Amino acid sequence: MEKEKNVERERRKKELKKAFAIFIFLLPGLLLFISILIAPIAVSVYRSLYDWNGFSEGTFIGFNNYIELFTNGSIKFMTSLKNSLILAFFSVFVQLPFALLLALLLGRGARRERTFLSIFFMPVLISTVVIGQLWLKIYNPDYGLLNRFLDAINMGNLKHVWVGDVKTALGSIIVPTVWQYIGYHMLLMYAGVKGVSIDLREAAMLDGATKWQVDRYVVIPIIKPIIRVSVIFAVTGSLKTYDLVRILTEGGPFQSTEVPSTLLENMLFLRNRYGMGSTISVMLIILCFAFALLITAAFKEKDD
Amino acid sequence: MQKKRIVSMFMAGLMTLSLFGCGSASQPAADTGSAPEPAKQEATTEAKAEEKTETVAETTSEEPISLNMWCIATESDSNRHSYEAAIADMQANHPEINFTWEAFENQSYKTKIKAAVSANEMPDIFFTWSCAFLGDFVEAGKVYCLDDAYQNYKSELPEVMLGNSTYDGKHYGVPLTMNIVGLFANMELLKEVGYEEIPGTYDEFIACCDALKAKGIIPFGCAGKETWCVTEYLESVIEKSAGADTLNDIFLGKSTWNNQDVADAVDTFQSLVTNGYFDPSGIGLTNDEVKNNFMAGKYAFYMNGTWNCADFAANAEFFPKVKVGEFPVINADKSKLGQLIGGPSDTLAVAASSPNAERAADYAFELGKLICHYGYLDGCGLPAWTPYGDTSSVNELTQTVAGIVAGADSMVLFGDTAMSADSANTYLSYVDQVYGCLLDGSQFIEGLSKDIQ
Amino acid sequence: MESYTLKEEKPYLKVITNIFLIIWALINIFPIYFMFTFSLKSNDEIFGSNIIGLPKNWLWSNFATAMNTGNMGLYFFNSLLVTTLAIGISMMAAMMACYAITRIRWKFSGLANAFFMLGLTIPIQASIVPVYVVLSKLHWLNKYSTLIVPYSAFTLSMAILICSGFMAEIPTALDEAARIDGCGLFGTFFKIILPLMKPAVSTVGVYSYLQCWNEFMFANVFISDSAHRTLPVGIKALSGQHTTEWGPIGAALVIATFPTLIFYIFLSGKIQASFIAGAVKG
Repeated sequence: MEKEKNVERERRKKELKKAFAIFIFLLPGLLLFISILIAPIAVSVYRSLYDWNGFSEGTFIGFNNYIELFTNGSIKFMTSLKNSLILAFFSVFVQLPFALLLALLLGRGARRERTFLSIFFMPVLISTVVIGQLWLKIYNPDYGLLNRFLDAINMGNLKHVWVGDVKTALGSIIVPTVWQYIGYHMLLMYAGVKGVSIDLREAAMLDGATKWQVDRYVVIPIIKPIIRVSVIFAVTGSLKTYDLVRILTEGGPFQSTEVPSTLLENMLFLRNRYGMGSTISVMLIILCFAFALLITAAFKEKDD
Repeated sequence: MQKKRIVSMFMAGLMTLSLFGCGSASQPAADTGSAPEPAKQEATTEAKAEEKTETVAETTSEEPISLNMWCIATESDSNRHSYEAAIADMQANHPEINFTWEAFENQSYKTKIKAAVSANEMPDIFFTWSCAFLGDFVEAGKVYCLDDAYQNYKSELPEVMLGNSTYDGKHYGVPLTMNIVGLFANMELLKEVGYEEIPGTYDEFIACCDALKAKGIIPFGCAGKETWCVTEYLESVIEKSAGADTLNDIFLGKSTWNNQDVADAVDTFQSLVTNGYFDPSGIGLTNDEVKNNFMAGKYAFYMNGTWNCADFAANAEFFPKVKVGEFPVINADKSKLGQLIGGPSDTLAVAASSPNAERAADYAFELGKLICHYGYLDGCGLPAWTPYGDTSSVNELTQTVAGIVAGADSMVLFGDTAMSADSANTYLSYVDQVYGCLLDGSQFIEGLSKDIQ
Repeated sequence: MESYTLKEEKPYLKVITNIFLIIWALINIFPIYFMFTFSLKSNDEIFGSNIIGLPKNWLWSNFATAMNTGNMGLYFFNSLLVTTLAIGISMMAAMMACYAITRIRWKFSGLANAFFMLGLTIPIQASIVPVYVVLSKLHWLNKYSTLIVPYSAFTLSMAILICSGFMAEIPTALDEAARIDGCGLFGTFFKIILPLMKPAVSTVGVYSYLQCWNEFMFANVFISDSAHRTLPVGIKALSGQHTTEWGPIGAALVIATFPTLIFYIFLSGKIQASFIAGAVKG
């Protein structure tokens, strides 16, 4: 009896010690996280129920902001959502496969692997302002490289006011965005590829597998968690995309290229509709989180 | 002497000008008959210049304090020099006040000042745009009332200039420079089609555009990516068709957008677009790009704020080619020359939360006067304060503008400044669609009267 | 490097691969060339007369303008300080949290992880005013720490995500062995796990750096005195209300970017070496 009690006490003590350790390990992260990120979300949720301009007294209006968001056509929330989902689609199905291809090619130990890796990562390090300006020069209707090029190959009829035409504006944002962040995902994946042990590759090669087969059947399954992370980043990043839209189109022409973040900023700081701005940010957080869960679930299912 | 005459004319004009305010300030009636003699006016200017030095000497023995100011006169802003010069003067005159200031970029400043107002963290003195932008802060009780301080500056700052920063009869802002929309013309291109002057009537103006078009010269450059640039054209067309009173009442919410004259004016504007007078690629360009195109001789006309005068004057190659004028009258029954778009918008305000608000108010007035003075000399805009000292060094473009303003009948403030933030953005998005020919005049007025209450 | 390659590829495939890599490399180098030449031009050349060519007059004065009137030297130092400290704090917090989540067994570890992942989804604009109000009540504006703390919070989620990937690859046998040797949870973390996380440091560092270095919104709102301004705000401050001289902005961008690029090039060898070192056999 006594012994059992002792064991029980020991176990409890151990449990307590473990709980304490967990608490200490989580403490710095939680402190930062809750004070800077979670508390403001709570404030946003609260403010989203108000009609408030940011400095005077607000009025409580319940869910009217949410209703207006979807029913008032001039807010363009649905357009913005559609745009970011299109961007997310291209990120996942164009950007990521391309990044994976580069990571695999370099991961095999191509010649001058390091030089290439550094160069491919450079667009990520360059400020979006520069990237935006560069692409504006490419798209410029009068002297831009794209229209000049079309002239040179006698395809002048394809010339467009690229960022000013409803048909081409969204595409003009997607191309640079997808391009700039290829390096970003490539580096993540490359780290994973390099994590695959050489022994494993050699073993597969000895069994007569080609390089492509090694990549397909050995490397990709191993780096799957990293691919999952990349997919989550690509999708949530697309939902939150902001910089290039501001520089390239300002949400125009006729608000056809608005994304949730530009709408959010307009509401908060141009239109003084703080309540509505909070509503958009709450919607954005919910959407991002839902997509992250969905993607995680999708990857789990595949594993099974 | 010629130049001096213009300045006096300018001041005489100010006295009688009907300047619409967005607050409920009393507006002097438009009445050009009672203008004082130019010569008299000139004499008072000089007297005031002397007065100024005296007032400075009086106020030095107070206990030391610190004042802080935020503004948007960043390193490359054309107003930078006038701020620096004015602040240097102020620091010399008020050694007891430890004055510090910071400049922020225009767009990000809007974010910053709004956040600061929310958190009650404003500096003692801050730059703001008049009308709706400042109005929201005033309504929230965050701005110090300047009525008492203004009494000392009444003689140098015409009350009509405070209209845009007056709410419920109380003054809350110190106006700095003011600007109007000007019709800038590249005379070299106009000469090619036989015009020595900017056409004075609308029919002549259209004939000139047709001639330019026939010669392969694009008449207008306009940045579609920045909708405020489109409003510079559209608002002028509406004003010169429907009249200044109509437009002003609409901007201030006194009457609705549902007005057939406005619809017709919008159609007139759109016909300028559909006739191919505007650069079709302008829709994808920023104002910086369009302005550079204009200076490179791509467009014959460029309608934009008169703050551009300083930049045009600074470009030795381009300056001789450019002239500035007024947009011609379209419907002489409702409008006339001298009805302009513009007015004092750049403003200094004092935070109600400032511990030294009273002294900050005086400081803001004195500083505003100096900024205005140096800004006028630099050609950054017209002075809201009565000019003093030698103004003969002001560039010719700005002087021409001063002449136009001197003969002005009434001024309507830029729509996006006059309207509340939410309405202004709705308005801009409709203007955008008119420029893109997605809406016609009747759809424009219908939509706006529905979406703006 | 290619010691494990047993089967050689067909030579033409290799050539195609190389050509492809070189073309892609050129596309990626172009923006750097563009940025550099654009920093030496006048507005006239930037907007039309000479967009992508070499500058006609090499306007080195743009750099002088950026350095003297634009004060880029100070802003660079501020950015460097803020970024480095923010990365340091977030990395330490992330590794500790990660250890608790991935290597200690408890009921709610999955939930804790999901909770932290929430951070990936939060748009930075949304929290700016609430955080600002709190910081101003605490009289905590206009200090370096005003930016360091929010930055480390914003990079935390990403850091935890990357770290957990790396930490999962460390075999649990190591923990068990340490326990048998008498190490507590803390001892195991500091003596065994942390040293093995070196490869994660560079990856987390690079990604956190990207989030902090170019951050504009917080830096703009929270810092009002130019003594603590960071680069992005400083660069923005070079543009004016009605006109902008783009040359000095280009120069400022070069000042903001080139040191990083050079540092990255020197470091990239090391970063890659650490990736390879991180490969755990098994």
